[in-house]
Amino acid sequence: RKRMTKIRSDRRVRSSTFVNLHSIDLGGEFVTPQEDSSATPSESLMDKLNDQMMESVMISDSPNNSEEDDVAPMDSFLDGVEEEEAATEASDDKEKESEIGQNTTEIKFPLEEQEPGGSMEKGYEDTKAQANTQEQVITVVSPQGDEESPCEFNSGEQEAKGTSPKDEPVPVCTIFSHGNQPKSLVPDGFQPTLIKSPSFSMGSGGGGSEAVTPSKLTAPLVCQPSPSLSKFFTDNGQVNPASDFFDSFTVPSNFISVSNPNAEIPPGPSPATIDHTPERQLSSTSSSISTPGGPLDSAAAAATQPQPFNQLQAVFSGSDDPFATALSLSEVDRRHDAWLPSEETRKVLISVATQQYSPSFAETNKLTMPGLKFDNLQGDAVKDLMLRFLGEPAAMKRQVLTANSVEQSFTGLKRLISSKNWRAAVDLTGRLLTAHGQGYGKAGQPTTHTTDSLQLWFVRLALLTKLNLFQNAELECEPFGNLDHPDLYYEYYPSVYPGRRGSVVPFSMRLLHAELPQYLAKPQEALDRLHNLKTVCLAILENLEKGLAEDGSMITLTQENRQVSLNLWRSRLSRVMYSMANCLLLMKDYVLAVETYHSIIQYEPQQRVQLLSGIGRIFLQIGDVKTAERYFQDVEKACQMTGSQPGHTTCVLMNRAFVSLSQNNYTEAHASFAEVLKVDPKNPVANNNAAVCLLYLGRLKESLGQLEGLVQQDPALYLHESVLFNLTTMYELESSRSTQKKQALLEAVACREGDSFNAQCLKLV
Amino acid sequence: MEVNQAKQEHLLALKVMRLTKPTLFTNMPVTCEDRDLPGDLFDQLMREDPSTINGAEALMLGEMLTLPQNFGNIFLGETFSSYISVHNDSSQVVKDVLVKADLQTSSQRLNLSASNSAVAELQPECCIDDVIHHEVKEIGTHILVCAVSYTTQYGEKLYFRKFFKFQVLKPLDVKTKFYNAESDLSSVTDEVFLEAQIQNITTSPMFMEKVSLEPSMMYNVTELNTVAGGEDGESTFGKMSYLQPTDTRQYLYCLKPKPEYAEKAGVIKGVTVIGKLDIVWKTNLGERGRLQTSQLQRMAPGYGDIRLSLEMIPDTVNLEEPFDIICKITNCSERTMDLELEMCNTRSIHWCGVSGRQLGKLSPGAFLSLPLTLLSSVQGLQSISGLRLTDTFLKRTYEYDDIAQVCVVCPFTSNKG
Repeated sequence: RKRMTKIRSDRRVRSSTFVNLHSIDLGGEFVTPQEDSSATPSESLMDKLNDQMMESVMISDSPNNSEEDDVAPMDSFLDGVEEEEAATEASDDKEKESEIGQNTTEIKFPLEEQEPGGSMEKGYEDTKAQANTQEQVITVVSPQGDEESPCEFNSGEQEAKGTSPKDEPVPVCTIFSHGNQPKSLVPDGFQPTLIKSPSFSMGSGGGGSEAVTPSKLTAPLVCQPSPSLSKFFTDNGQVNPASDFFDSFTVPSNFISVSNPNAEIPPGPSPATIDHTPERQLSSTSSSISTPGGPLDSAAAAATQPQPFNQLQAVFSGSDDPFATALSLSEVDRRHDAWLPSEETRKVLISVATQQYSPSFAETNKLTMPGLKFDNLQGDAVKDLMLRFLGEPAAMKRQVLTANSVEQSFTGLKRLISSKNWRAAVDLTGRLLTAHGQGYGKAGQPTTHTTDSLQLWFVRLALLTKLNLFQNAELECEPFGNLDHPDLYYEYYPSVYPGRRGSVVPFSMRLLHAELPQYLAKPQEALDRLHNLKTVCLAILENLEKGLAEDGSMITLTQENRQVSLNLWRSRLSRVMYSMANCLLLMKDYVLAVETYHSIIQYEPQQRVQLLSGIGRIFLQIGDVKTAERYFQDVEKACQMTGSQPGHTTCVLMNRAFVSLSQNNYTEAHASFAEVLKVDPKNPVANNNAAVCLLYLGRLKESLGQLEGLVQQDPALYLHESVLFNLTTMYELESSRSTQKKQALLEAVACREGDSFNAQCLKLV
Repeated sequence: MEVNQAKQEHLLALKVMRLTKPTLFTNMPVTCEDRDLPGDLFDQLMREDPSTINGAEALMLGEMLTLPQNFGNIFLGETFSSYISVHNDSSQVVKDVLVKADLQTSSQRLNLSASNSAVAELQPECCIDDVIHHEVKEIGTHILVCAVSYTTQYGEKLYFRKFFKFQVLKPLDVKTKFYNAESDLSSVTDEVFLEAQIQNITTSPMFMEKVSLEPSMMYNVTELNTVAGGEDGESTFGKMSYLQPTDTRQYLYCLKPKPEYAEKAGVIKGVTVIGKLDIVWKTNLGERGRLQTSQLQRMAPGYGDIRLSLEMIPDTVNLEEPFDIICKITNCSERTMDLELEMCNTRSIHWCGVSGRQLGKLSPGAFLSLPLTLLSSVQGLQSISGLRLTDTFLKRTYEYDDIAQVCVVCPFTSNKG
C-alpha cells in the first residue's frame, strides 16, 4: 500500500498558480503479477510529460477485512471451483468461468460504514506519502490499471474464439454451414443485434469484441466457390429441364418489357447474352416472343402461362387506352429510374446517345461484369437440427419449398421469399442469373444488363443481407463498383431501351449497396455512400422544385406528375436518412444519430411518435433516463395533438414501461406492459416484455408459462427469434430438461418456418 | 444425459443467471419499393415481424426486450444481480430445502440470500426462486457460492455447492490536479481549483449522472461545470452527457476555505484533505454504478516559515514612475521571528526607500502589512523580484522573487495614440 505525494513547484518560482502533483496509488496488495505485464509500454514521451501534470487517483477497495474468520483462502476456493464444475454442467458456470480475465485491482471503494477505519488509514498513508517522494515519479510515468480496457477486449475475443470454433475450415456446403456454427455465443440472427446494439456489447466482453470486428464473425461464412456450379443444367434434368427454366425466365421478362412502351422487342436476355448461353436459350428466346407454346414442356407451360397473362391484365387494368397507359408508364419509369450519374459517366452516355461511341468498344474497366461468386446455398438449419435431435423420421416430415419446387421464375422467387425460404430464394436467383449469363465464374466477362437482371441482383443481395451473409453479399456486390458505370444506365442501350433514361439499378439496390459496409465493420464507408445518395436525392428534389425534370432536363411535367415525383423522392430521401441514422447508431455516435432521426420527422411527420419514442429509447440505452423522459413527454404531447389513436396509447404506455424499467422498477414496468395488453391483448412486444419483467421479479415459472402459452397459441407472432431466445434462456434457467423443451420448440418451428429461420436462437447446439 | 447425471448426483438442480438489464432487440431493415421485383414482399415481411416498430419499420432500434445473453462485464460500483433457481428435477417431494448464496471476495464473505429459512417441501417440477442483489465494492475475483441442503423422502440429508467465479473490473480512471489560486489581492480566501479527469475505461458508453465533489470540513465547493449565463443547468459538456469508451472528461471545482480556516492562513498547510469525488453513472437501460474516490489530498503551497503575499498592486504602471504595492508578511512558523527587510534592485525593478530596515517581531500566525514603493525602468510585463527577509534570530534569509507582475507602459506613446 503506497501513497505518494510530491510538490513540483519550486518555491522560488512562485507564480499565481501552483501546480501540485500527486499520485495516489492505493490497494497495492491486490496487484497481481499479470498486471505488471499489462502496463503500457506504448506511453509516449509526450503522454508522460502530460501525465506528470495529473494526479492519478485510484479508487481502491477499502481494507475492510473485518470478517477474517469467515474468509476462506481464495486458493482453496479456486480448487473447489474446479472440482465442482467438473461435476456440474450449468452453462452459466462456463460463461462465468470464461469471464475471468486478468484485471488489476487498485481501486478503492470506500464503504460508508468503514469511514472510521479509513481515517486511521489515512494518517498512516500521510506519513508514507512524505517518505516516498521518490517512488512517486515511477507511478506517474506508468499509470497502472489503464490497460484494463484492452485487456477486457482480449479476454472477450478469446472467449468468443474459445467457444465457437468458427475458424475451422468449413466443409462442403459452405454458406449453409454457417447456420450450424454451434457454439457461438450469439445465435445466428442475433449477430446483427450484437453488432448494432450498444447494450449487447456493453453487456458482454464477447459482444464488445464483436462490435469491433463483425467481419471476423462473418468471415467463415464466405462461400467457397464450388465447381458444381452448373448443377442446374446437369443434375436437375428430370425435375426441371433447363428449357423450363429458360422459358420461365424469359417469359416473365417478356411481360416486363410491356411495361416499357418504348421497347420494340421483348428484351429478355439481350443479344449479348446469346454469345455465352447455350443454344437452347436462343430457341427459348424466340419462343418467348411467340408466347409460350413453342418447345415448352407442358407442365412448365402450365406453370408459367397464367402468370404473364395475369400481369398483363394488371398492367392494363384501369385503362382502356393502351396508349395512355404507355404514356403514364413512361412517366413512372422516368420518375423511378431518374439518377444523376457522375460527370465522367454522363459524358460517356451522351456520346452513346449521339452515336459517337459504340458500347462494343467500351473500355472494360468502365463496365460492370458481375457473376455469381458462390453456389450451393441450399440448406435448412432447422432440418439439420431435427436430424440431430429428433431423428430421421421426424426430419423427413419437414417440408419446405426449395429452389426446385417452385416455378423457375419471378413468381417462384416471390413464393420462396414470402414463405421465408430465403436460402432457396438465393439459390433461385443464382439460377436465373446463370441463365442470364452472369452465373458462377462469369464475373469479369462482358455482359449486358437489363431491368430484370439488376432486379435479380438486388433481390439476391437483399436476401443475403437478410440472412446475415454480409461477406457473400459484399463479394458479389464488388463488380458493381460504385454503381455508376455507364452500362448501368438505360441510355447505354439505345436499341434495347430506345428513349428510356435513367438508372437500370433500382434505387433499393443503391441503398442496400450503401448500407452493406456497415455490417462489415466499415460504417464510415457506408456513411460516405449514404451521403452520396442523399446528395443525389436532394439534387433531384431541387430540380423538381425548379420546374425541371428529375435529372435536370427541360421536360415540362404536369403539376400532378411533379407532385407525385416530389413525394417519391422525398420518401426516398427520408429512407436514406433512416439508413444514415441507423448506421450512426451502429457506430454509437448517438449525438448524430439522434439528430438524424429527429430530422426525419420533417419528411415523415406521421412517424413523429415512433421517431421520438425511438430517440427516447436511444437515451435509455445510453443511460440518460432524464432526457429519455423528456422525449417521451414530447411523444405524449404529439399523441394528444393528433387525437387518440390506439397505436399511440400503446406507444405512450410502452415508453412509460421502459422508463420504469430503467429506474429498476420492474413491478411498475410490468404493470405498464400489462396495461398495453388491456388495450391490445395481442401485442407481441408487450407480451414478451411483460414476461421478461416477471423474470426479473423472481417469477420464473409464471414468466415461462406466459411465453410458452403465447408461442403455442399464436406461433405466427411468437416464433420470433427474440421471443424464442428468451424462452430458451428461461428453459435453461428453469430445469435440467431444457434440451427436451427446446426440442419441442424446434418441432413447432419446423411446422411453420422456412429455411431462413435462425435456428441458433433455440440454443440447441 | 443431463437429467440422468443430475439424478445420480442430486434430486435438485441449481441454476444461476446473472440479471444484467435486458436489451432492446434491433432489427435490420431491408426494404424495397413497389416497383421492385419483390413488390410489397419485403415491406410486408417487415410489417409482420413483431420486433419492428409499427409504422416506422426502417427504425432499427425496436421495443422487444431480450434477456442477457452472457455474463458480461461487471464493474466496481455496479450492482450484481443474479437469479438463483433451485429446481426439483426428481419425481419425489424433497424436504427442508435450504438455499444459501454467499459472495466471496478477496477480503470478505457476504451472505446475499434473501431469506435464510428452509423451505419445508418442494414438489417435483417446482422451483425455489431467489433474486439476489449486491453492490460490488471490491475489485478482482469474486466467487458466488451457492449451497443447497435438503432432505430426501427417505430422510437422507444431502448437500451440494456450486461456485461461480467472476471478475470485477475498474470502470473509471480518475486523475486530479490542483491549482492554487492565491487570492492575495482580496486577502479573503485561498481558493483551490480542482481539475478532475474522468476516463471511461469500460467498453460501453456511460452516462455521467453525477460527478460532484464532497468537500472536507475546511472547504466550500463551487462546481464549475455548467455554462454561466446559459439555460439553467446547461452542462459544459453539451446536451448529451455521456462518455464513450476511452473518452475523458474534465470537471472543474473551486474550493474556498471556510472563513474560520481562511483567516488563519497558517492553519492550512502541509497535506490537507480537500474532499472526495462522488461519481454516479448509468449505462444500458439505467444500469447504475456509483463510486467515490479516496479522500483527495493536496499539499498546501509551501509557504515555508514566512509567507509573503500581495494585498495591493496596480495592473499597469507608467515607465519610470514610482508606484505603491502593499505586501503582507505572515509568520507561518511555530516561533516568533524578528525580521529585517532587504530590497535588491533588478535590471528593471528599482526599489525606493531604505533597504535593511527592521520590521520588528512577528509572533506565530501573525502578519503585518508593508507598503512599498518601486519603479520600473523597462517597458513591458515586468516581474517584481528582489525582496529578502532575514530572521535575525536564526540568521536565516528568505528570498522572494517573481512575486507578481506589472505591465509597464510609456505614458507618452499612449498620449500620442
